[in-house]
Amino acid sequence: MLSLRRKKTDAAVSQEPPWHPNFRNFERLPDTKVVRTAFFINVGAIALTAMVALWFAFQEYELRDLRLQIDAWQQEIDRNKPPSTRAVAQFRKFQEEASRIQEINTFVTARPAVSDLLVQLGQTLPANIAIDGLELRDTGLRLIASVRGAPELASGHASTYLAQLRANARLAEWFEQIELQSINRNQQTGRLVVEYLLKTKKEKGAKK
Amino acid sequence: MMSNEELFAFVKKNRLAVACGVLSVGLALAAYYRGDGLAENQAVLDQKAVEGRRLALNLKNAAQLDEQLAAVSAAAAEIKPRLVRVDELANNLQYFYKLEAETGTRLSQLQQTANAASVARWTKTNPKAAFVPIGFSLSVEGEYPALLDFLRRLENGTHYARAVAASVNILKPDRSGPYVLQLNVELLGTP
Repeated sequence: MLSLRRKKTDAAVSQEPPWHPNFRNFERLPDTKVVRTAFFINVGAIALTAMVALWFAFQEYELRDLRLQIDAWQQEIDRNKPPSTRAVAQFRKFQEEASRIQEINTFVTARPAVSDLLVQLGQTLPANIAIDGLELRDTGLRLIASVRGAPELASGHASTYLAQLRANARLAEWFEQIELQSINRNQQTGRLVVEYLLKTKKEKGAKK
Repeated sequence: MMSNEELFAFVKKNRLAVACGVLSVGLALAAYYRGDGLAENQAVLDQKAVEGRRLALNLKNAAQLDEQLAAVSAAAAEIKPRLVRVDELANNLQYFYKLEAETGTRLSQLQQTANAASVARWTKTNPKAAFVPIGFSLSVEGEYPALLDFLRRLENGTHYARAVAASVNILKPDRSGPYVLQLNVELLGTP
C-alpha cells in the first residue's frame, strides 16, 4: 500500500526559507570538487610556461644554428681569401695585358688592308675592264676604270661590274653603298672611263 | 588593492602557478631581448655568405688564370720590339728603305708626319691609350707586283701598320710604265 504522505519536490524545498542562518565561509572551506580548480590553474600555468620555454629554446637553437653557419662561412672565407686576393691581382694584370693586345687589334683592324683590297679587286676584275687608279680615304674608295669595247656595249659592262662590286661579300665588310659616279669617254683612246664610289661603313670609318 | 598578507597568502596557495608565471615572464623577456640577435646574426650570415660565394667564385674562375696570364704576358712581351718611337726618326725611316730594297721599288718621297708635339697632343686627348699612332707619308714607284709586295710587307711586317689613305695610279696612259702608290700610313708606337 502506498504511503499517503507525499514527498516534497526539490522546487518546493528550494522555495522554503532556510530554517536557520548559514554561517559557512565558503572561501575558507576546502575545495570539495572532484577535480580541484587549483589543478586546472596549475596545468594551465605549466602549459603556458612550457610553450614559452619551447619558444625560447627554439629561438636559441636558431641562434646557435646561425652562429655555426657564420663560423663555417668565416672559416671558408679565411681559407679562400689569400688565394682569391692573389687571383684578383693576377686578373687585373691579365686585363691590363689583354687591353694592350685589344688596342693593337683595334688599331690594325680599324682600316681595310690596301693590299687585300687590291688583290680582291684584281681577282674579280672582268676581262673587258681595266683599273686606271684608285683612291682610298676615310669616306670611301674611289675607283677609276676603263671599259674596253664599243660604247653601247661598254656601258652595259660598267653596269654589270657595278652589280658585281655590290655583290662582293668581302667588299661589303667595309663598304655599305657602291655607286657609279660618272661615265665619260676618253678622247684619246675612245674608251669609256667610269668612276665608282664605294662609301665606307659609318662604324668602320670612324678613326680608332 | 591586495595587501601584503593577502598577496603572500595567494602566492602560498598557488605556489606552482606563480612560479610558472614568473618563469614564463622571464623566458618571454629573455626571448624578446635575444630576438634582436636573431636578425643581426641573419644579416651577418647573409653578408658572410655573399663574401664566401664571391671568393669561391673567384677561385673557380681563376682555375686556368695562371696559364692564361702566362700566354697573354708572352704575347705582350712580343709587342714591345714591334713598336716604333716617335723620336727615333732615322730608325723609323730606315724601316721603309729596307722595304724598298727588299721589294725593288723606289721611294720617291718619304717623311714622318708625326712629331713629339703631335704625339703629346694625341696622348692628352687619349689618356687611356697605351700606344700612339706615328704617321708617315710616302710615295712608292714600281711595277704592280712589286708595289703589292711592298704593301703586303708593310701591312704584315715587323711593325703594326695601317693605311689611313692610299692612292694607286699608273704613270703612263698606255699602261706600259710603272705605277705610283701614295700612302699615308700609321705605325703603332710609344710616345
